[in-house]
Amino acid sequence: MPDGAPLDEMVDGAGGFRPHWRPLLGALADLGRGVLAERALLIDRFFADEGVTSLLAPQDGTPATSWRCDPMPLILPAAEFATLEAGLAQRATLLEAVLQDVYGPQRLLAEGALPPALIHANPAFLRPCRAPEGRRDGPLLHLYAADLVRAPDGDWRVVADRTASPTGLAHVLENRRALSRHMPEFLRSRELRQLGPFFDIWQDALQDLAPGAPGGNPGVALLTTGHASPLWFEQVILSRELSCALVEGGDLTVRDGVLYLKTLRGLQRVDVLLRRQDGRTIDPLELESSMAHGIAGLLDAARGGAVKIVNDPGTGCAEAPGLAAFLPRLAPRLLGEALRLKGARTLWLGEAEARAEAEADLDAWLVRRAVDGTIHSLRPSSLEPESRAALLARIAAAPQDFALSEVLTPSVAPCVGAEGLVPRPVMLRLFLVFDGRGWRALPGGLVRVLDEARPGPTVTKDVWIPAEEDAAIQGPRGSGFAPLPIRRTSGELPSRVADNFFWLGRYLERLESAARLLRAGASRLSRASPTPRELAELRSLFACLVRAELLDAETAKAGAHGLGARALTRALLRAMCEGGPVAAQLGRVSHLAELLRDRLTGEMQLALHQGLRQLAAQIRPVPQAREETLGLERLEEASNAILSFAATVAGLAAENMVRGGGRLFLDLGRRVERAQAIAAEIARALDQPGAAAQPARLEPGLRLALELRDSVITYRSRYLTALQAGPVLDLVLADEGNPRGLAFQLAAARDMLVELDGDAESPLGLAAGQLLKDARAMVRDVATAAAQAEVALGLPPRLRAMEGAVAALSNRIARRYFTLLPAAHSLGPAAPGGRLRGAA
Amino acid sequence: MIYSVRHSTRYDYGSTVDLAAHLLHLRPRDLPGQRVLSAGITAVPAASRRRDALDHFGNHVTWLFLDQPHATFEVVGEAVVEVGFPAPPPAAATLPWERVAACARAGGPAAWQAAEFTFDSPMVPIEAAAGAYAAESFPRGRPVLEGLLELNTRIRREFAYRPGATSLATPVAEVLKRRQGVCQDFSHVMISALRALGLPARYVSGYIRTLTPPGQPRRRGADQSHAWVGCWLGPEHGWVDLDPTNNAVVRDEHLVVGWGRDYADVSPVSGVVLGGGAHGLTIGVDLEPLAVEAAG
Repeated sequence: MPDGAPLDEMVDGAGGFRPHWRPLLGALADLGRGVLAERALLIDRFFADEGVTSLLAPQDGTPATSWRCDPMPLILPAAEFATLEAGLAQRATLLEAVLQDVYGPQRLLAEGALPPALIHANPAFLRPCRAPEGRRDGPLLHLYAADLVRAPDGDWRVVADRTASPTGLAHVLENRRALSRHMPEFLRSRELRQLGPFFDIWQDALQDLAPGAPGGNPGVALLTTGHASPLWFEQVILSRELSCALVEGGDLTVRDGVLYLKTLRGLQRVDVLLRRQDGRTIDPLELESSMAHGIAGLLDAARGGAVKIVNDPGTGCAEAPGLAAFLPRLAPRLLGEALRLKGARTLWLGEAEARAEAEADLDAWLVRRAVDGTIHSLRPSSLEPESRAALLARIAAAPQDFALSEVLTPSVAPCVGAEGLVPRPVMLRLFLVFDGRGWRALPGGLVRVLDEARPGPTVTKDVWIPAEEDAAIQGPRGSGFAPLPIRRTSGELPSRVADNFFWLGRYLERLESAARLLRAGASRLSRASPTPRELAELRSLFACLVRAELLDAETAKAGAHGLGARALTRALLRAMCEGGPVAAQLGRVSHLAELLRDRLTGEMQLALHQGLRQLAAQIRPVPQAREETLGLERLEEASNAILSFAATVAGLAAENMVRGGGRLFLDLGRRVERAQAIAAEIARALDQPGAAAQPARLEPGLRLALELRDSVITYRSRYLTALQAGPVLDLVLADEGNPRGLAFQLAAARDMLVELDGDAESPLGLAAGQLLKDARAMVRDVATAAAQAEVALGLPPRLRAMEGAVAALSNRIARRYFTLLPAAHSLGPAAPGGRLRGAA
Repeated sequence: MIYSVRHSTRYDYGSTVDLAAHLLHLRPRDLPGQRVLSAGITAVPAASRRRDALDHFGNHVTWLFLDQPHATFEVVGEAVVEVGFPAPPPAAATLPWERVAACARAGGPAAWQAAEFTFDSPMVPIEAAAGAYAAESFPRGRPVLEGLLELNTRIRREFAYRPGATSLATPVAEVLKRRQGVCQDFSHVMISALRALGLPARYVSGYIRTLTPPGQPRRRGADQSHAWVGCWLGPEHGWVDLDPTNNAVVRDEHLVVGWGRDYADVSPVSGVVLGGGAHGLTIGVDLEPLAVEAAG
């Protein structure tokens, strides 16, 4: 097969521009030279800022990188797109018919129309999904995508079918968004078919799949591959576009044959599960037991008709490259018509005729694995002689494991290069969804630029379908469902999400409190030799730093005697630098912010994403030689940056997040963490050995207490300057109006816990209320005493007890709301021969 | 022969189990040569949901779901089954083994179902070493059943029956190297060896009678569930079951529950529980003859 010259998408054979490119080229001419390259950089930055990650793993095995989109789209004329849509709709119908047979009566196998090697030897053929009696409700395929290249003859050919869980849809949306923002001149050049209606159709189709009476409000959930997966970003976007819950396997449970989402309010029924997880690990009872992801009993629930899973877990077997060899023969048999859209010609080497043809000239073909479409194809002629011989030997030993496909020279499309536009080869992915009656294509798509020679991440393109004059306007159906009951709280919040918000609150607060302690340390270390009074204050501060794990006990001990100022400076710098506790804290906040990506508003996300990135840059290590001069200054700067970051996030949360739900848990986490820290710090501030004899020695501790609670100004405005135990402790422990004080935290926690339970007698609310009473009692004891300082010096044990009680309250909150169920594990079944099967 | 079989499995959990799901292959299937006269499965505590169906291979499968806290779980499968598998054809009259392999490879109406048992499966990868081991018994052109009977005998002779020496996690290659194990190990080795030659072989799960008539040796693998190998002789003669653990042809001392590609397709009792901690497992199998009938 000769490799003909590639077809150029933009330029025709005579060197002229094809008509459908002309409006855009007009806009391009107006832009002027050099602008395109600038815009390309802007688009790169746009994706980096938004944290859009690549879903196509780079070919060379480097880690996933940012997404890239070329400023030049690929334009497909409307008529050509309509032909592709019709051809792919037919192909999807054919694949559905094949799947229905393979998972049903298997007539195609019995009659020899399909070889067992492509089905029974296919790991994606899931035997538990088969209904041998042939009784099945609804289609197996719901979303289908195909990869196509345009051959030199001008026709698009299908080179791969994606039937398991096609990816790339969110990236189509992101590409369009990037071009709308950064290439407005292009978008103004012509009217395009919009992407939104496809997602409306999809959303309606998902709801129609729900078993049971139409018109109910079906529960639709998207089962993710988890936040660590490169596909996480796409799933977050899809769950928003489709207005469905984003859930992990651990959020779901099957009871009595019905699938439920575990939420704070209890179990909420799920009727339709949009599966993005590998079908092979979806139910540990019947499939591979991978406990981390699967939901035991899910297949039983699906068989019983209580939940519809799309795509069906077993649909991946239709991706087998070898199957493509049979589709031209199967189409007349199953559909009564020939394939409308050609696929790349494919041979399955399990067939004798195919082997005979292949032997004539193997180098003319691409070699693929017969059943696994994820393994890259090889061109024997491009291999080293040894590798080529090894490949040929493997083919000869097990020909049925291989398929050959026709080598096609892909068309080239203009891409932005350093020197202007460069034609580069492209592959197109189109997406179709089954709306209950027929297949509907997304009027757009994803183009990958196939430039293996160039290093770096794969570049993609947006795909434009010009609108036709009389295009029908399609909007969301939006009616036909019972009106939703008004809800004011978010009881439907999955327990896992509530857990993440709670810890985000705790970690943000812990970060802020660490910054406050380090800043207090830095400001004191910059002073010359400390007075005895300052030493007493330092001792308390060091104790607080040790408790917060920002300082080691040895260095603190030396510092408390006024020694080792250099060692102290270095220790505090280490705490703030990469690898230290503050960096670890930042890492935890980043991780949770990523996990909660789908739950945060755009503004919150941006503030967190940018803020964290800036902070990470700020805590770079200081050269050792300059530690003493530069170190303390840098420490104060970084502390201030953290405090300002924390204030921004808290402000945005207060202004942007709906009260209740996630915000409630974010606040609750913050209050609990802060209450615990206050009790711990004041206990250490009041712990002044030897002060019993000289009550005046309590003063440094009181001053530190005010400083760490950011309450110095309030105190001064109330009491002028005299520091007395009663008023100071009232302000930091008992005044419910002081947002930095203990009473405020406990009162707020009590109110939130009561709100969550919807019960004034909520046991957790009562527990928080009791702690508030204890805090007030401590202050009352001091304020009513004749010798305030002496009573105050006796408080540390009570404050430590308070610290422990708040920690216990936090554990009770976690048990009540977050850990609904213990972890699942496989049972040792009875093995023949009496051996036990280990827990998987 | 008519047998009564009782297979009990009991879990004692270290801590309470809140939710449990069990998948059972306990009910024997009807076959030419095997008639199930009665069969039942009971569980304590009783399941809150039970489903019965046929799986991909046509085996009976039962799902039990429990949603009340429990500290022990016991499931008992009982059946009365009449068994009398026909004698295999004369070995010399069977097809040359290469013809059988070619027939399976070709698939189509006569062979597509057998072809499924020629591929790798999760617990039985096709090991070249297993193929080399079997090759001795399959010189060119030898009638397939002659080779199968010899291989069956060799495994019985050359592998040591040693309960506890292997676990379910022991790979076929390891069993082949160490030459010891229990019935599912020998079955997996034989299956891997036959598939390496392109011959269809399936894993059969069932029971073997506990007590043999006086004067005969006690069978290995009794008192537990047992396993052996279904071997395909080609479209005309179909399947014959061979028991490499006892060097036996399955006639009237074995009772078939079901079959699959390997143990994982037909494990008698498996499950997923929430909670439970460590668990103790007690298994008992009794297979007693009820009466002797003229076996067909």
